[in-house]
Amino acid sequence: MEGHQRNLYLYERFNARVVGVSRDETSTLQHWTESLGLTFPLLANPTGYLGINFGTQHKGFPFFARRTVVIDKWGKIRYTQPGSPDYREILQLLQKLHGEEVQK
Amino acid sequence: MKHRLGLLLLLFSLAGCVAHQASDEPEIDQGPPESPMVWQEEYQFSPPPPPWRLLKLDETDYSIAYFRACDDESGPGEHPCESTLAYDEEPFGYSRDLVRRQQEFFRRFLWAARVEFEEPSLRKIQALGGEALLAETIAHERVLKDKALVQVIFAYRGERVVAFYLTQWRPVDQEFEREQLGDLREFVASFSFLQPSFYQRLTMD
Repeated sequence: MEGHQRNLYLYERFNARVVGVSRDETSTLQHWTESLGLTFPLLANPTGYLGINFGTQHKGFPFFARRTVVIDKWGKIRYTQPGSPDYREILQLLQKLHGEEVQK
Repeated sequence: MKHRLGLLLLLFSLAGCVAHQASDEPEIDQGPPESPMVWQEEYQFSPPPPPWRLLKLDETDYSIAYFRACDDESGPGEHPCESTLAYDEEPFGYSRDLVRRQQEFFRRFLWAARVEFEEPSLRKIQALGGEALLAETIAHERVLKDKALVQVIFAYRGERVVAFYLTQWRPVDQEFEREQLGDLREFVASFSFLQPSFYQRLTMD
């Protein structure tokens, strides 16, 4: 999360927004946001349907597995990667997608 | 004109996120003994003198780190008696304002050691050819009765904040060796970048 917060100014330049999704309740996320100083939105999804749709809700687990998903302005998923985020790979992709967006 | 929302990053599972990105095994060109060290064709610097020795990094908290223990010089030292001198391309925190960054940094730095930091003293200095901030504090580990002298120099590489630091651990009843801070200052003074950073290159076009 800190890495994404550090890169927010670059996401802004590439016309991208970042949103976190968790099964935690809003009160937990509020505390977490304040303690880490995060300024991007975190979505509470206690029922887990977003994780089911994106394949991050493993059976029997009360939380999502880590995954980063990039969706373009036309709603198409352009990147999905499990595990810890590769910030540089994500930035390079956003730069490329922004270039495509500007050309269209 | 403001762009409409173009791209959306969805991040699932927020717990336990790492702050640093894994890097490849460092490539080091040490050259002749007296020449500056070139690191991954990114940095050039004069290594701190022996008994400082290059630390083989098996984690990603530092970009470059040197280590020395008290028993490197004069026989076994009392635990804990060791120092780390490091350059960090991605120091803890996220703000690009140096004062705010040091506040964020000390919320995370040495977190696994369970230390309490004294309020850092701050001093504006010049480093890497520009504005920088020197922060100094003492960390107290009150259970094990250890303490650490910590000096951090926050500076800029392009738009982003980088940091140099020295952490010197001592038992609570021993004095610090402040002359090691001179090794940090000389390391920083010798340090230069050989090419634009990844982030600078990303936004050059």
